[in-house]
Amino acid sequence: MKQVNQIKLLAILLVFVLLVSGCASSTSTKNSSSQESNKEGASHPKSGGDLTFALATSPDSLDPARSGLAVAVRAFRTIFDSLVVQAPDNTIKPWLATEWKISNDGKSYTFTLRKDVKFHDGTPFNAAAVKYSFDRINDPKTQAKNAVALLKPYQSSEVIDDYTIKINLATPSASFLSNLSQAMLGIVSPTAAEKYGDQFSKNPVGTGPYKFVSWSENADIVVEKNKDYHWGPANVENKEAPYLDKITFKIIPEEATRIGSVQSGQVLAAETVPPQNIASLKNDSKTQLLKVNTIGLPYTLFFNQRKAPWNDVKVRQAVQLAVDVDSIVKTLYLGTYERSWSPITPGILGYDKSLEGETKANIKKANQILDELGYKKGSDGIRVKDGKPFTLKYVDGTPNREKRNDIAVIVQQQLKKIGIKVEINITKDVATVIYKNADYDLYGNSQVNSDPNALRAIYHTRTPEEEAVFKGLTGGSDPELDQWLEQGTIELDPAKREETYKKVQQKIIKDAWIIPIYVFPYTVAASKTVNGITFDSLGYPLFNDVNIEQ
Amino acid sequence: MKEVVNTKTVLQVPKWKFARLHTNFSVSNFFIYGAGIIVIFIITCALFPKWLAPYSPTFMDTASTLSAPNSAHWFGTDYFGRDVLSLVIYGSRDSLIIGIASVLIGGLIGGIIGSAAGYFGGIIDVVFMRFIEILMTIPAVLLALAIAAALGPGLFNIVLAVAAASIPGYARVMRGQMISIKKRQYVDASRSIGTHEWKIFLWHLLPNSWSPLLVMATIGLGSSILIGAGLSFLGLGVIKEIPDWGALLSQGRGYLTVGWWICTFPGLAITLLVLSVNIMGDKLRDTFDPKISKKR
Repeated sequence: MKQVNQIKLLAILLVFVLLVSGCASSTSTKNSSSQESNKEGASHPKSGGDLTFALATSPDSLDPARSGLAVAVRAFRTIFDSLVVQAPDNTIKPWLATEWKISNDGKSYTFTLRKDVKFHDGTPFNAAAVKYSFDRINDPKTQAKNAVALLKPYQSSEVIDDYTIKINLATPSASFLSNLSQAMLGIVSPTAAEKYGDQFSKNPVGTGPYKFVSWSENADIVVEKNKDYHWGPANVENKEAPYLDKITFKIIPEEATRIGSVQSGQVLAAETVPPQNIASLKNDSKTQLLKVNTIGLPYTLFFNQRKAPWNDVKVRQAVQLAVDVDSIVKTLYLGTYERSWSPITPGILGYDKSLEGETKANIKKANQILDELGYKKGSDGIRVKDGKPFTLKYVDGTPNREKRNDIAVIVQQQLKKIGIKVEINITKDVATVIYKNADYDLYGNSQVNSDPNALRAIYHTRTPEEEAVFKGLTGGSDPELDQWLEQGTIELDPAKREETYKKVQQKIIKDAWIIPIYVFPYTVAASKTVNGITFDSLGYPLFNDVNIEQ
Repeated sequence: MKEVVNTKTVLQVPKWKFARLHTNFSVSNFFIYGAGIIVIFIITCALFPKWLAPYSPTFMDTASTLSAPNSAHWFGTDYFGRDVLSLVIYGSRDSLIIGIASVLIGGLIGGIIGSAAGYFGGIIDVVFMRFIEILMTIPAVLLALAIAAALGPGLFNIVLAVAAASIPGYARVMRGQMISIKKRQYVDASRSIGTHEWKIFLWHLLPNSWSPLLVMATIGLGSSILIGAGLSFLGLGVIKEIPDWGALLSQGRGYLTVGWWICTFPGLAITLLVLSVNIMGDKLRDTFDPKISKKR
């Protein structure tokens, strides 16, 4: 009996020793070498090889029309091509369409299409396929998600001949071409879409550089090289068939595991590197870090103006002054994310650089404003007016994506300084709390988009019918703002559009509708043997040029 | 050396058997006093955190985030720049509340169900015990997880979830005790002189049957704290200004490669508390164990 116990004791000790030695060896390898390599243009890209790319979450659908998630776009951008492509300077270049004409009233677009394109299933690409793709999105039966909003104000398509199509819009739209460049408006094979119906999201067929092979839910998505491909867009170097034989998108939700798999060589690349790992990856001799700022609407905190006192611009301004965004971004993202200043991100047409540095935290002034409004500090430091304590309901979703829950924790402490008690509600069910019941005072969100017209969906006054479908994020209304936003949609002269959107941004910030927080950088950690991962203008990865050194 | 045969295998904590098997009792006394001191210290932390913590738990020193343990911050700082030592001290309160409250609630409900089933027998026994058996088929952690997920986040909901998960164990032990004691001679004697049934129940049966429950509760305290920490680790707690130990662990997990101290110290605190409580429970069990006390 005694011996058995000694063996047990020995076993426990052994486990302990192993644990300790395990920790020690990992710290010693971490600082092994530090060199920055930026070798690019190993002149002869090798064909062949499989890339494994770890995604942070599971896509909802691989049908471009029915998807609502950026992570899905990262996977299906390889399968679907668009009519046009947006270059980094925001100009529109040909892709599946070689040229286009816009009518004088701005309400119809006539596209000439490429004649040498085939879908993966052999269906020829032509005007009928384009018409089918857009009509399908517009058909309520399809239950399309983000694609519907992007396609607006689409009305109908006319097939003029096999390779000419005329698209009619209800109103002119300055963002239409830019929207067409997005993968969610990619062209789908009519034969396959008809054949699979609802199951098209599991059997996607397009004209892209890679063909769909398989999708195991929550595990991986596999695509293989499309050998016939030779219609690459302007934003990639290799217009021909891709170098890689196969890409496997592995779904690894756990941050540390995802990044660890790259470092250990289990996968060749992984997306969204947490800020605390970015610094340590820079010292890793075997791993490279790629980073691109996404464009669209930055992560922004929205005041719910339906509820008092948030309908009072002065109260909102006080909170805007009390939230020290600089300190939040520096603390949580360790210098890897940029702070945002405007309702749109840099890189979008009309971005107002003059707003940078304009809003500065000023606790004293914030306190002064609230004093003047009659909010008196109580004995516990919380302000009281008409017998009610001044509370702010801060809602955020779970999981803690991009450390958004941690922002709530810091804001809670910062607003305590001006006597506002912040109640944080972390919920799984954002759809009900925010979009159905609008039960919040402050809520944060962001959106990837290519055009400032995205502002209209958020900041334009919403009709009661629209509110019945889902509640808007601001709940505010400003006739002047409405007018500018409407102008921005239809104005075709880029210079005039820029002016209009600058006024919009200044007004939104001056009236403290929002507190913009950060611009999300899309990051990829990849083994140094992987060359040629590039990004499109929205920050989505492109795999046309990728090759693997042996 | 005589083999110690323990009848209540449910209560066995095999890990610590070797400590007691040594004939030298001072070793086990050393453990018990150590455990006692640790438990008293942690209770003091929970009651008077202000006296012990060097900083306010919500103070964010944004100039020194993620700094390793040093003379200013003994346990280092987390990614908000909060002092980890102060967080651990303040966090003890909620962790202890979860442990103690859930044991009290679970023990009370389990005790009532068990004693009713054992005392009345018959149909009540059958119905109650089948219900308890259904609960027992689900692992305690899973049951607590499901209940916490259904009730939503909140300290009280965590307490309820952990309590519910511990009910079956208490109920079964209490029922067994009741059945064995209600047939004793002194109970029959009492009944024969005409004592009222309720009085027998309250005066003779209850006081003589709850001592194993007390031992179980002490040991259960440890596992309740552990399950509670597990639930808040999984994010089923609320985001509070002052996080409890489980939440601290969960927040620090993403930083394990850059700041080991954020996770390690709350983890050690949980380990020490649970270990100490278990050692004390073990000692308590020995005291109530007729076989061991006879030997001494």
